[in-house]
Amino acid sequence: MAQYRKLRYIGYVKFASITRRRFLQTASALGAGAMGLPTLIQRSALGAPGQPSANSQLVVGLIGTGGMGGTHLANLLRFQKEGKVRLAAVCDCDDNRLEAAWENTEKRARPYRDYRYVLERSDIDCVLIATPDHWHAVQTVHACQTGKHVYVEKPASVTVRDGQAMVAAARANKVAVQVGAQARTAKGAWQTCRAIRNGIVGKVRKVTCWHYASPSDDKPVPNSEPPEGLDWDLWLGPLPWRPYNQRYQPANFRWLMESGGGQIRDRGAHQFSTVLWCMNADHQTSYTVEATGTVPTRGLWDTAIDMRAVFEFKNPDWTLEWGQPGDKVGKLEFGNVFWGEHGHLVLEWEGGYKPANPEAINFQLSPGGKEVYRTDEYEDFNMNHKADWFKSIREGHLRPAVDIEIAHRTATLCNLANLSMILGRKLVWDGDKQLVAGDEQANRMLSKPQRYPYCL
Amino acid sequence: MGILAGATPAVLSAVVQGVETVKDLVARIKSKDDSIRGAAWQTAESAGALAVRPLAEVMMDPDFETARAAKRALYRIVRHAGRPGAKHEAEAVTGELVLVLGSAPAPVRREAMWMLSEIAGDKAVAAMATMLADPEVREDARCALMRLSGSKATSAFKAAFAKAPEEFKYALAETLRERGIKVNGYPSQKLVPNRKTTVGESAG
Repeated sequence: MAQYRKLRYIGYVKFASITRRRFLQTASALGAGAMGLPTLIQRSALGAPGQPSANSQLVVGLIGTGGMGGTHLANLLRFQKEGKVRLAAVCDCDDNRLEAAWENTEKRARPYRDYRYVLERSDIDCVLIATPDHWHAVQTVHACQTGKHVYVEKPASVTVRDGQAMVAAARANKVAVQVGAQARTAKGAWQTCRAIRNGIVGKVRKVTCWHYASPSDDKPVPNSEPPEGLDWDLWLGPLPWRPYNQRYQPANFRWLMESGGGQIRDRGAHQFSTVLWCMNADHQTSYTVEATGTVPTRGLWDTAIDMRAVFEFKNPDWTLEWGQPGDKVGKLEFGNVFWGEHGHLVLEWEGGYKPANPEAINFQLSPGGKEVYRTDEYEDFNMNHKADWFKSIREGHLRPAVDIEIAHRTATLCNLANLSMILGRKLVWDGDKQLVAGDEQANRMLSKPQRYPYCL
Repeated sequence: MGILAGATPAVLSAVVQGVETVKDLVARIKSKDDSIRGAAWQTAESAGALAVRPLAEVMMDPDFETARAAKRALYRIVRHAGRPGAKHEAEAVTGELVLVLGSAPAPVRREAMWMLSEIAGDKAVAAMATMLADPEVREDARCALMRLSGSKATSAFKAAFAKAPEEFKYALAETLRERGIKVNGYPSQKLVPNRKTTVGESAG
């Protein structure tokens, strides 16, 4: 299989090692510009042996059908209707959810409980992974190792080392890994990004995020038998085994540090992704982080109810502050404020589900201003984000808008903030070495070894 | 008690005070009042090594909130002891956790292994490695020991592999390979599917 995949993507090798930015710069230098990529499209449109052409139908599997998995399923069925993909497999460790998803495909996609059956299928090109967060890294790495392109839900990972492994697997196997922080292909975030980067409020020295608090469990329940149809052992997967409790699943995994990480790793993965994009700061991988929070006094959930995390970046110097609830500046439940020399700009939510601030929408690029690239195929940003992923596969550059390396950096912000809060101390993060300076315990906690065989 | 060896009178006096503090902490952890129990575990970090074994005992309390509070108090202690510049505190807490491994029920030993994975040095490897032979604890022990990067841990994995029952050898082989050790046989099971659904007649 590995050999087959190598042959299959041999036509991509030339492009696999360049960054998205360099890819676009190269296109621009050739006179094609960000909107004019026919030079490369033409190449892939020819459809090298075993390589999907611009018009070929990608074969897709969906792993995880609950929660966001439902949105992905609906999107994939629409792409299928448009003739762009064929949904060949649906997979879930909960038979109840699996059956519902299978029926939604009109029983055309094959149902699986174990994602490894999906990865075994050589006819499947790509997988969408919408499982709880503790599964993201393992399933992504395994999918890459079997030559599949991956779209995985955010946050990319629950530990820093998991994120590193995902980046390495994507590069080693020359596949595209898109992470579901969809704002980077959404209109609202894009309008804000181009306005901020082009100085709408001048130089930005501080960005603050506000977000409502996490819930606490006011009615803890004892452990019990898992519900019929749920493969609890498979749901746990990489996590240490423990008895079932209703406060883990369904949906509640978000409020446990090891499987969800709370608001900062859930919405934070969206908001920080947008902020880094607007600040053009994906390359600023070193910083300090200091986080404090209050966690529930009872119950199973252990993520912060209230939380404050401050990141200090250098060269250029700026501060990113997560506030839960923080200082709400906008009107909605969560959002971001860019504090500049000449005022501030608010972005409600993360720039996907809600429109940008009117000032950003109406912002006119001055002569010599820098445009920001965005895939713009669908008004629906969930569809558009997937279109961006498919495009990166068909064009062969394999660097979608939220490439795994970008998403790993975003997730690292979230993971280090939680780590700082748990340890009760400030952390100095060396992004080049991927280590916390002078803190052995923190460095050990950058990974959480996983239960065999559900491991990297 | 190993941590009192060679202690001066002043230290002993502090220990007596510490014992009282621990008694008070345990009493508050056992409170049925959330506000008392919650505040107790959330401020337990300074209780230090002396509180490790008493709290480990409470981790088996039949009331799940009490047991959980004791576990969380212990984690607070471990995370405080592991801070930079607190080597002696980390060693003292490690020593007490090693004693827990020798006597506690399996659920407590599993947690103790994970706590040790954060702060233990090579001195704890031998005690941690004994857990690799216990079917109730061995997978947590394998994971926890993986956080210790030195050659002592690698040697412990090798020794465990030699004696392990067949079904556990695959996991140990994976660990050894990750550490650069060649292992014959026992190929990786990571990509081998084995969980079938009952949904649909054509299920895989």
